[in-house]
Amino acid sequence: MDKLGVITSFIHNIIVFNIPLLYGTVGEIVVEKSGSLNLGVEGTMAVGAIFGYIFGCYANSLGVGILVAFLAGAIFGLLFAALTVSFQANQNITGLTLTTFGLGIYFFVGNSVKSTGWPVMADYENVKEGFADIDIPLLSDIPLIGRGIFSHNLLVYLGIIIAVAVWWYLKHTSLGLRLRAIGENPAAADSVGINVNRMKYIHICLGCGIMGIGGYYMGLNMSGSFNSSCWINGYGWIAVALVIFANWSPAVAIFGTFVFGFFNTLRVSGTSIAAAFPETLGWLADIPAQMYQALPFIITAVVLVVTSIRNKRGSSGLPAALGLNYFREDR
Amino acid sequence: MRFHVVKRDNWPLWKRALAYLAAVVAALVIGAVILLAIGVDPLDYYYQLFTMGTVGNKIAYKTYMNYIKEFLPLAITSVALSLAFKMRFWNIGGEGQFIMGSISAGYIALKFGASLPVWLTLVLMCVVAMLVAGIYGLIAGFLKVKFGTNETLMTLMMNYIALYVLYFIGETKADWNLFLQETSSRPVFVNFSDTVAFPTIKIGAKFELNICFILALIIGIIIFIYLKHTKQGYEVSVIGDSAGTAKYAGMKVNRIVLRTVFLSASLIGLAAAFKVGTAGVLSTAITDDVGWTGIIVAWLAQLNTGMIFIVAALICVLQHGSTVAAATYAQVDSSFANMLQGIILFLVLAADFFIRFRIVRVKKGE
Repeated sequence: MDKLGVITSFIHNIIVFNIPLLYGTVGEIVVEKSGSLNLGVEGTMAVGAIFGYIFGCYANSLGVGILVAFLAGAIFGLLFAALTVSFQANQNITGLTLTTFGLGIYFFVGNSVKSTGWPVMADYENVKEGFADIDIPLLSDIPLIGRGIFSHNLLVYLGIIIAVAVWWYLKHTSLGLRLRAIGENPAAADSVGINVNRMKYIHICLGCGIMGIGGYYMGLNMSGSFNSSCWINGYGWIAVALVIFANWSPAVAIFGTFVFGFFNTLRVSGTSIAAAFPETLGWLADIPAQMYQALPFIITAVVLVVTSIRNKRGSSGLPAALGLNYFREDR
Repeated sequence: MRFHVVKRDNWPLWKRALAYLAAVVAALVIGAVILLAIGVDPLDYYYQLFTMGTVGNKIAYKTYMNYIKEFLPLAITSVALSLAFKMRFWNIGGEGQFIMGSISAGYIALKFGASLPVWLTLVLMCVVAMLVAGIYGLIAGFLKVKFGTNETLMTLMMNYIALYVLYFIGETKADWNLFLQETSSRPVFVNFSDTVAFPTIKIGAKFELNICFILALIIGIIIFIYLKHTKQGYEVSVIGDSAGTAKYAGMKVNRIVLRTVFLSASLIGLAAAFKVGTAGVLSTAITDDVGWTGIIVAWLAQLNTGMIFIVAALICVLQHGSTVAAATYAQVDSSFANMLQGIILFLVLAADFFIRFRIVRVKKGE
């Protein structure tokens, strides 16, 4: 491959392989802003993936797939909300169980369907074509970066739109303000007449639904080939980390997705870049793959420590009531 | 008509036990419906699962031995985690601490296994694994005490950092890497079970009880006494109830937190040393997810040391039994156990609500 082509495909891959992270992260930001720490992102993405993919293929429609993935995620959110908001169960335990449960469902449903005949993505025109790259006119013709940045599938654009919309919603609408108030101090929010439990239910379901779409994306990106390793493959956990890196802002999450994505993509295509530029970037081939895999978590750990030091000055986006259940009678 | 949720005074033990039992039975019924839907006889499946296929099996002793191998690390890890949880310190980092313990125990076995006496190597493995895992856990504890860093998220990140360190060791052929076989061109972990392994006690004709089983019981009893009947254990529970109260009572809260986190993490290191010392070889899947499952076990057992052993034993039956039952029912693999485990826990959490709270109807005009 020519040198310019290597760069273009590198940029393209950063986006195409890592947008699911953005879905997971934006979804988790919505959930966490309501004061709930949901550690079940991995499981929620997994159920969104499996149900979205299967139903999307059966209906031969990308739209149906997206809708089912959203609903599957939202139902998981409902489960989480019922247990932690209404039943006052511990959020960490519920979230971790959601992950075990979700991965269990993923493999159970996947294997059951596989035994009767797995739907192959290539057979479903509308799904396949719906997921094909769409060129943005003019912009995609820019040399070097055009094909890398402005030629992507529908779900990439949708992910960016959702991230921007959620950012605007949290920052500039009164509902968003109320949501943030609940995450900071539910008792105070309650005392000014906000229905805390209803807001929590709605946003936990909404956030988990967004995660579900991200899962569906991952399934499509693997061309729907189902085997012994889950499509989500740890992305849900990276999303939990990315929320912290993004300081609970969906706009920063877009940037963060590309930072994490940059390293993630270097892991895959580091050798081809090293081969294209042996003099300047030859050393890239020597970095172990596990270093790239650990990097998101190392960076996040550092960010977590730095923000906690700064937090004393009140500049962090960490919701103050994160992880704590709100029991109305305790006011 | 409106409803109102009120905290309940303590229910008698039998009522609580009944509520949990009802939750588990309900979960099994849901599982049975799923099994029926895919054409599996639920009664026979559950029979296979809960007996782990041992009835009428000539090599049942092997099943029991494998079962104990799975049970030990989970039980000790869960007990260890309960120490930190009692203090409301959310140590989600069991996986990472277990991995760090495993790597260091494996290192000792490979480095000194050939030259030192076996018993000394084993003791060294335990001590070093405890120290390394303890220090790894202490990092999050220190950050929490010093800067208020969220320990749930911090230990979560450290799990993955440890995991990729393990992957790096397991997948990189190099001169320094004594963990991998020199002769093999593919990366394969060196087996050290010929030189270093925990001794076993023969019971009956064939069954061999690993000494770690007895050690684990002793650890359980010690931790039980430590939490219930010592000053340090009392301090842990006071901090768990309210750090403010503890401070007001003149306790050095930070020191107690650090001490307990170290103890919790180092016990997980010990569990790892037991695991490595019985498996006789490291692997990238050495933890068997005990760091995750242990959290659920500790919580299900309500941080009660005795209950933890029982719950861990039951969860292991579920996990081990499902792999056995999968031999008969190919369409139900171990993913069903994960699903069932989830359903059980959700229903138990719901039952927990009705144990802690009651719903009161509010009459109009009140």
